[in-house]
Amino acid sequence: MIRGHQLAGATLAATIALTLSTAAFAQEKTFKIYGFGAKSGVVGIFGQQSEVAMQAAAAMINKTGGVTLGDGSKAKLVVEYLDDRCTAEEGINALRRIAAQNDAVVAVGPTCSNVAEPVFGVLQKKVGDASDSGLQFPLYTDVAAKGGLAAMSQWAFRNVPSEANMYKSIFEWVKTTRPDLQTFWGGVEKDFAHSNATFNVIKAQAGNTGLQVLGQSEWLLNDINFSNQVREMKRANADLVAISAHPFTTCGVLKEMARQNVKPKMLIGLTSSSSMETLQGCAAQAEGLIIPTSFAPVTDEARNAAAAVQALNPKYNMDLHNAAAFENIFTLKELIEKQKIMGRPDTVQADRQKMRDGLAAMKQTTGLLGKVGRTEDREAIKPFLFVQAKGGNWTVAHTPAQ
Amino acid sequence: MDLLYFLDLSQSIIDGVLFGAIYSLIGIGFTLIFGVMHKINLSYAAASIGAAYLSLLVVSAVPAPLVYVAAAIMGGVLGWLVYLICFRFLPLDNPLASLMSTVGMLLAIEELISHVTRGMPLNFPALFASTNIELGQYFIRGDLLFVFVLGCVAMVALMQLLKRTRLGLATRAVAQQPVAAQLCGMSVNTTNASTFVIAGFLGGTAGAMAGAAIGVLSPLMTLPLTVKGLVVTVIGGLGSIPGAIVAGLIVGGVENLFQFLRGVSERDIYVMLMLFVFLVFRPGGLFSAPGGRD
Repeated sequence: MIRGHQLAGATLAATIALTLSTAAFAQEKTFKIYGFGAKSGVVGIFGQQSEVAMQAAAAMINKTGGVTLGDGSKAKLVVEYLDDRCTAEEGINALRRIAAQNDAVVAVGPTCSNVAEPVFGVLQKKVGDASDSGLQFPLYTDVAAKGGLAAMSQWAFRNVPSEANMYKSIFEWVKTTRPDLQTFWGGVEKDFAHSNATFNVIKAQAGNTGLQVLGQSEWLLNDINFSNQVREMKRANADLVAISAHPFTTCGVLKEMARQNVKPKMLIGLTSSSSMETLQGCAAQAEGLIIPTSFAPVTDEARNAAAAVQALNPKYNMDLHNAAAFENIFTLKELIEKQKIMGRPDTVQADRQKMRDGLAAMKQTTGLLGKVGRTEDREAIKPFLFVQAKGGNWTVAHTPAQ
Repeated sequence: MDLLYFLDLSQSIIDGVLFGAIYSLIGIGFTLIFGVMHKINLSYAAASIGAAYLSLLVVSAVPAPLVYVAAAIMGGVLGWLVYLICFRFLPLDNPLASLMSTVGMLLAIEELISHVTRGMPLNFPALFASTNIELGQYFIRGDLLFVFVLGCVAMVALMQLLKRTRLGLATRAVAQQPVAAQLCGMSVNTTNASTFVIAGFLGGTAGAMAGAAIGVLSPLMTLPLTVKGLVVTVIGGLGSIPGAIVAGLIVGGVENLFQFLRGVSERDIYVMLMLFVFLVFRPGGLFSAPGGRD
């Protein structure tokens, strides 16, 4: 009988505890941060990596209590990521879908420059311009790297490295440390906005530092035969070869260079190729390749972030692109608190305006490699370093003074 | 024209022709299926690359040549699956039905590869990668020469299979008069499925060869190989196996020649122009049959 009473009491207590915890769970507030980018298709890795990095950052924030909203209440961060397949139409659709939600205050993305350009084009150009019916929705881009895009709209902000600064720095370093290098040959993936735009930067910087530009080889993103291009390269016999292409064609060209025995004294690559994709595709041929990057696990923060991404999903790792997505979540958390964002359906438009104003007022943010400066035209000045492919890994070749 | 320019020009054509052997192998698959079913299987090149990806499952366990055998086998399996999903239960009298189903399959295979590999290029083992033949100033890649020889062997083997075996007899009979073939006791479905498996064997081999020639596999390869395979099939003559071989080599050579002469931004214009010239002046292709199907 006593046992029966004890059992009944325990059951009652458990029921009450369960009811209370369920009620508490039901009352737990959430604040959604949207993201969009290429999650499928042949460059789907960019969006997948960004989503995991955003989720890892949100999980770290939630572990310490979440974010404090404008009314003083706490909310857990939730990430929802939409797929644009790296196409302009789907990118614009994704942005419009996000902007139509009454819980969407800000979005991180897109991942492709060819999407960022038209997407920024549908945003209102100048804040407060009543004659401009463009979308009034703040975007904080993490990956799309083509230079100067944020200038298109005052609602567009980016946390991508300045490739102009990176390549200026790398060629100055080359000039100082390798005075024996006199001539330059370029290779460019002509039909990809980022590769093509960055190649112009690379070529200009090479010329500015006194290297004689002998010419360039061109190919397309999905080319599979590089024999002509590499033969041109071979004939030029340049001391330094720079390849502005993504991992697939970078590997194709490097393998063809090995076949035709083209061995420049120095190889420089595109920022986007400083990832595991390149090493997975052609580690042996990429040996010695030097690339400027805004991410390497060289600080405690960077190591922790990389570990958090791996812990969340071991299939993914941290690189210069999703490191920016990770940083963005922490920056947005700070802004939600600083700008007293309410996170309610009835305040959504005011919240978007407050978020935009907060993003515009930022003079500096905290990045994984150190402080990140902000420019007048809403771009980032990120710390960077040069990594080199060695024995199937990326190793730090040089950290320039910044 | 100085000597160096001439050397580079002729080397471009040689490289292109040898690389065209891959287009030939893809073209054979397209043309074989068209020859039997009078349908275009747009997912063929994607399935070929898919087979090459699947063969990487055994790459650490077996020597490199067996990876190619695995690719051929996986190509056969995928070919059969494509037949089952995209053709077997569809109304074949509606030409759009199988066309759209194979477009869907092409996208599905590409997406599946992208998801499973997360879009990462994967190393593919090369046969004869370091075997290059130097003839004076000319440089011939051993791996492409091997693909070229393989393409020729495949053509001869296929011709023998079609002419000298019961399966070949059934295939030709179904291609010419499916109703009459059925009345003679031949199973149209079995014959069609066999054709897809045979084309799949070739496709898997072509996928592996393409991977070996570039050194990496990527889902980015599916679309250019599909387009080039179709161009080759049309130029060679729909249903003509020798036509596919010759057209593949021509397309490869022309593509690389114009890459050399006019650069990457104009290269494909000339290849497509060649296709239009054939469509206008010789719509049946290089090796068109003189009469009708019968």
